[in-house]
Amino acid sequence: MTCHDARESLSAFLDEALAPDERREVAAHLEGCPDCRRELARLEQTVALLRRVEPVRAPVGFVDRVTEAARPRPWYRRAAAAIFVPFSVKLPAEATALVMVALLAVYVFERTPALQESARQEPTAREAAREKVAGPAPATGLVGRPARVEPSTPRSTESPAALRKQEQDRRDAGDVAPSVAQSAPAPPKPEVAPAPPPATPRSETAPALSAPAAPAPAGPRASGELAKEKEAESRQAENRQRPAESSADAARGAPAAPGLAAKRAAPRDVVAAIAARDRDAAERDLTELIARVGGRETGRRREEEATVVEAVVPQARYAEFTQGLARLGAWRMEAERPDLPAQVHVILRRQ
Amino acid sequence: MREAEAGDAPRFLDRLRAGETAAFEELVITYQHRVFGVAARMLGNAAEAQEVAQEAFLRAHRGLAEFRGDAKLSTWLYAITSRLCLNRLATAERRQHRQGEETLLQLAGGERPDAAVERSELEAALHRAIAELPEERRIVVVLRDLEGLAYEEIAEVLDLELGTVRSRLHRARADLKDKLERFLP
Repeated sequence: MTCHDARESLSAFLDEALAPDERREVAAHLEGCPDCRRELARLEQTVALLRRVEPVRAPVGFVDRVTEAARPRPWYRRAAAAIFVPFSVKLPAEATALVMVALLAVYVFERTPALQESARQEPTAREAAREKVAGPAPATGLVGRPARVEPSTPRSTESPAALRKQEQDRRDAGDVAPSVAQSAPAPPKPEVAPAPPPATPRSETAPALSAPAAPAPAGPRASGELAKEKEAESRQAENRQRPAESSADAARGAPAAPGLAAKRAAPRDVVAAIAARDRDAAERDLTELIARVGGRETGRRREEEATVVEAVVPQARYAEFTQGLARLGAWRMEAERPDLPAQVHVILRRQ
Repeated sequence: MREAEAGDAPRFLDRLRAGETAAFEELVITYQHRVFGVAARMLGNAAEAQEVAQEAFLRAHRGLAEFRGDAKLSTWLYAITSRLCLNRLATAERRQHRQGEETLLQLAGGERPDAAVERSELEAALHRAIAELPEERRIVVVLRDLEGLAYEEIAEVLDLELGTVRSRLHRARADLKDKLERFLP
């Protein structure tokens, strides 16, 4: 056995932790090696020093602290842990929370007409734009007449006038940049003649809109100039008559019904839908109701599945009017301004 | 110096497994100084040692039902405590407290004897030398030379081969011998 091997075993030799054979070998080496014997002695003294170290004692009160901490938790804490901690319970709780958020979103949507109106904006925007273009159209002979509703002009026409209107639609619908870029420098196309006055005037909206409109052009003009003029006129008219609508547009909203109800030009403070079985009777009753509350009917249009009635009702008797509506059948408010004016413009759609 | 190992009586183990509060309290009373001692020597700080010692007993309390009784209760408690200490020492957040040695001196000696200046110097040197050992050697020397465990028991506590225990202990002692040279006769 070398000194290195012997010294590796000296610690265990001291502790009598060597196997008998190994112990004999180390002992034999030590007998003949004074250096290893000295090393063993130093090691023994070191261990003796270590064993003189005072034992560390736990601080006073340690037992009480441990036993207190080990005491079972109160029942309510255990119950809370049992409810919230296990994964199998937490997962359904999160799913329930998601469902509740979804239901809340639906509820808010249902209760907020502005949201509903904005959701419907997409299909009606183009129609509204058409109405604006048609406003100062040549058939302005009816300007100043009381509002009257007629069936709208069919829009499927392929005439050049219709094409020009479509171009106008795009501008009004917000697609301004490309339209302006294309139309402004474009020379007037001779083949696109000014549209002849439509058989049914589209300008028969509320008189307030039509009244300040510029007079109709005296004769045919270049189509580009005409289109720009029309656009400017319609915008001016819109700005004059609905100064607050840009901000309150969401609150007032575009009516859900197509046709008359979709006319953005018409001032409307309330849009409602009413369901009644007997169409004729309901229309009659509605006329009576409007008259009874001191209102006046400003427009009516019968469509295949619905009748759209426009009316002006005094704000003072608006409550009475809505009560009367409730007696006619199941009705539903689709849009209502928060601050009703003295004369409330109502659009009713009977379904 | 050591408390009796009466805690390993079968009847006592049954009481512990049954969750008897008095039996657990008896266990803590019996082993508190040993568990705390190992934690204090390993961590070098009294507050941390108390925290770890308490956690060791709480873990034992939770695991008593599964304690099979193959090993002695003390071995089991040493194993829990050693593991907690080594884990804590391995965490990066742990900061060395420079006053730890002084705290240990006060804990170890209680009130220092007035005429024992040399002894206190020796103890300070001893504590420092132990604290400077690598952790895996320190735990072996603490269990062997301060707690008095047999090699086989240390191997069981630390889940090591007997040869590893021997080797680590030898290196730890050799290191201490060099550091404590001036105190040797």
